[in-house]
Amino acid sequence: MTATAERQATPQRALEPPPPVRVLRALIRRGLRDRRKAPLTWGISIGALCAFEVAIWPSIENSIGKAVENYPKGLKEAFGIADLNTVEAYLEAEMFSLILPLAIAFFAVRCVADVLSAAEEQHHLDTLLSAPVPRRVLVTAAFGVSAVMVAAVLAVVGTLTWVVGGLVGAGVSAGALAGGLLAVWSLAILFAGLATAGAGFLHRSALVTAMAMGTAVAMYVIDLVGKLADGAEFLRWASAFKYYDSPLRDGVDLLACAGLLAVGLACAAVGAVLFERRDVL
Amino acid sequence: MLAVIETDELTKRYGSARGIEDVSLAVEPGEVFGFLGPNGAGKTTTIRTLLDLLHPTSGSARLFGLDSRRDSTAIRARLGNLPGDFAYDPRLTGRELLEFFGELRGTTDLGRAPELARRFEANLDRPLGKLSRGNRQKVGLIQAIFHDPELLILDEPTSGLDPLMQEEFLEVVAEERERGCTVFLSSHDLDEVERVCDRVGIIRNGRLIAVERMSDLTGRAFRHVALEFADRVDPAEFASITGVTEIDRVGNRITFRAQGELDAVVKTAARHKLVDIELTHPSLEEIFLTFYGHHDDGDR
Repeated sequence: MTATAERQATPQRALEPPPPVRVLRALIRRGLRDRRKAPLTWGISIGALCAFEVAIWPSIENSIGKAVENYPKGLKEAFGIADLNTVEAYLEAEMFSLILPLAIAFFAVRCVADVLSAAEEQHHLDTLLSAPVPRRVLVTAAFGVSAVMVAAVLAVVGTLTWVVGGLVGAGVSAGALAGGLLAVWSLAILFAGLATAGAGFLHRSALVTAMAMGTAVAMYVIDLVGKLADGAEFLRWASAFKYYDSPLRDGVDLLACAGLLAVGLACAAVGAVLFERRDVL
Repeated sequence: MLAVIETDELTKRYGSARGIEDVSLAVEPGEVFGFLGPNGAGKTTTIRTLLDLLHPTSGSARLFGLDSRRDSTAIRARLGNLPGDFAYDPRLTGRELLEFFGELRGTTDLGRAPELARRFEANLDRPLGKLSRGNRQKVGLIQAIFHDPELLILDEPTSGLDPLMQEEFLEVVAEERERGCTVFLSSHDLDEVERVCDRVGIIRNGRLIAVERMSDLTGRAFRHVALEFADRVDPAEFASITGVTEIDRVGNRITFRAQGELDAVVKTAARHKLVDIELTHPSLEEIFLTFYGHHDDGDR
């Protein structure tokens, strides 16, 4: 019997959609596989910067304090350079206060925007959403892939920093480093959530990225202004960077991290609802 | 019997711009339904609304008796779709794409993919980004069919395929009908639709202007005839033939439009020494102009 004849002999059956969990697993697995090089490219690039800062610490640890001692007190506090007496405080000032959180937030936002808005722009969603993929599951997968990939990138960053610190005798505290990276991860998740909410009503990947990263930069500026100007300190409540604070130098605030995560999840949930209700163009 | 696709005054507007307006149609189980219209007429908008990619402004659509919005996931489990501009992650090979879509459909079985790949001569081991448009389209076709869906929605499926593959595709569609599959085939190519479709819906300016049996449409279709004679022939000989209109003569060449059987035309031409004969099918636009009024320049 030929294949065609066999098919003709088979009565037409109603195909059932698979359970959403199975679809979610398939989407996350695919998303992770598509970005499998990111922990190396992003992780090694950013990790190398952190490792460089740690590597030069032994040669500057006795002079860095003097270099900034004449800076205005408010400025030193605003930029976290008041007490550069430990490698953690130095790494905090150089990397964890701005560069690392913003770079990782950008990566997290791009992960979400790629799976949703960029896929829409390139008409990939026309094909994907022809399969029995509930839109909420797709959004959950995008957010989940972002969370896992950010963790993977940060793991590489942390490992590089800690290993190089050990090699040069800078002795970065593993606990402090892990706490700092946890805070960066929480902050990135918040912006990934914002990007997900953005993809709920924006059809262009560049707009989603601009919205989420614009908010990140605005929050950083608000936090900075709040630190510099006493009268504007109340504004800091609106900035995620207030809750992020200085995790490497002062220790991670787990409650604040949980808060950042909760807001990120809430934004992602809003994004899922919006994405389901809108047209895919 | 329950219609596989049923739309009731389905309307989709993009702000103030027109998409589709009051489209009502029913596609019966096991039929191949051609959805004909010029580019921008609203074919893709209709399909995207059926698939719940676009939400209707008003009206409704039911597939397998299920609501296109509320039951979208259950509907999509039962159909296969080839989008008009098939595209997916260019890094994936065809095989990886099919395995992924198999997973999304809850199976690890690639079903008919190997057989279809052989028939379409599709290379499943090259990344999609390195395939030509036609070869990518083949992967898209396999992706739409490999799981033996109950309904196939195909938007301009042969665009980019070479003539041999177009033939193979039409054979596959015919086989799908034999299997009991319902096919909704959007096209602007009348020849393609004519060969496989049982009925045809014609959409223009976002409105469904006719639904006809294919045989009725082709029965009314006409051809452009050009006859080249060795000597000058009086065109009046052809003017008296039923169905012949728009006669013109330039030198020894007579051209006209013929509707219906060509027997009388051939017999009349055979009275003279005939050098060449050309038969041309009308374009879709001409058919619209002839049967459904004037072409609208604002068509999209």
